[in-house]
Amino acid sequence: MSVLFYIGALLIVIGALCDFFGALGLLRFPNFYVRLHAATVGIIGGAAVPLFGVALLALGADFLPNRYAIAGASFITGVIVLLASPAGSHALAYAAHRAKLVEWEPKVDHLGEVRESD
Amino acid sequence: MRGKGLITAVIILTFAALMTYAVVSLQVFGESTGVRPLGEFYLKNSYFGDYSARSPEVVTSILWDYRGIDTLFETAVFFLAIIGSLTVFRLTREQEKEVKNVESAPTELTPIVKDVTKVIVVMILAVSASIALHGHLTPGGGFQGGSALAVAPLLIIAAYSKYTLEGHGMDKTRALILRSIGLLGIALVALVPLLSDGFIMQNQPIFPAEIGGQLIGGSLIYYNFFEFLAVGAGFTAVFLLLSIPEEKFKKILGVKK
Repeated sequence: MSVLFYIGALLIVIGALCDFFGALGLLRFPNFYVRLHAATVGIIGGAAVPLFGVALLALGADFLPNRYAIAGASFITGVIVLLASPAGSHALAYAAHRAKLVEWEPKVDHLGEVRESD
Repeated sequence: MRGKGLITAVIILTFAALMTYAVVSLQVFGESTGVRPLGEFYLKNSYFGDYSARSPEVVTSILWDYRGIDTLFETAVFFLAIIGSLTVFRLTREQEKEVKNVESAPTELTPIVKDVTKVIVVMILAVSASIALHGHLTPGGGFQGGSALAVAPLLIIAAYSKYTLEGHGMDKTRALILRSIGLLGIALVALVPLLSDGFIMQNQPIFPAEIGGQLIGGSLIYYNFFEFLAVGAGFTAVFLLLSIPEEKFKKILGVKK
């Protein structure tokens, strides 16, 4: 098995771990914004990274029929997820902030401090 | 609550154990790797042989060749649903104008979302076309490709506004024209075999399986393309109707505030 196989497998394992921690964070984190962060960890780490892993794995597997098609499709899907997920979570956070739906209790608010001193 | 969780866990574990037992000990799926007689019939008549679409995606060729009429009526259910929603939203000419009229600048999302949408929309168009036009080679096809295509206008409506989409020429009327072209195409492809002594919706050998050395699966690629057009445009029309602001409808219906 080639180096590509090991790198791809490693990326998939990282993806599984990210999914696990993302799910854990989604259940245990205290408010909407940090939970959104955990969900994004689950998307980027748990969906985009393993998709790139699958692409490398397919490229490294000589016995696989149509391996370039599989690698290409996984890569494109990974890029789409990589682009769409930050924009989506940004839109969610922006909407929640604009609509003032989430109670805002910052522990540290550097932006507010700067604004006050201006 | 705790007891309920315990019962659920016991049921899931018992089911998993039974399934494992069935697969491992009883060999419900069998060990033979040979093709069963029915499968052999389908393969012979859809992939191999002169009277076949020669499509490696056998499911697609079975859907359009062996149960073509069934698929046609399945599609008809979807288009009846679209007609139903168009009827619910039917408007007079003045009301149509009122609905298209931009009163105040519509709220758009942040530049981050808008720029990403620009890139993603192009990618979605390419991917959906690939899903539809490879329908005879890989899993997918017209309906799936059309549903993927409909995500693009939906994203534009969400990130920009319905008026941006209409301003760029994709209004309800255009969507309905595209949808009608798609439906007409499906009907014509279904009727063409009658002209050369074939049956309705017959695929081989009336439509060539290959053109210029490229496998196109006879009539499958035409069905996929027209279905792609019809489903994508039909969904777009419904999304455009659903994104009409509530205030405008209240005004049209004469609802008091």
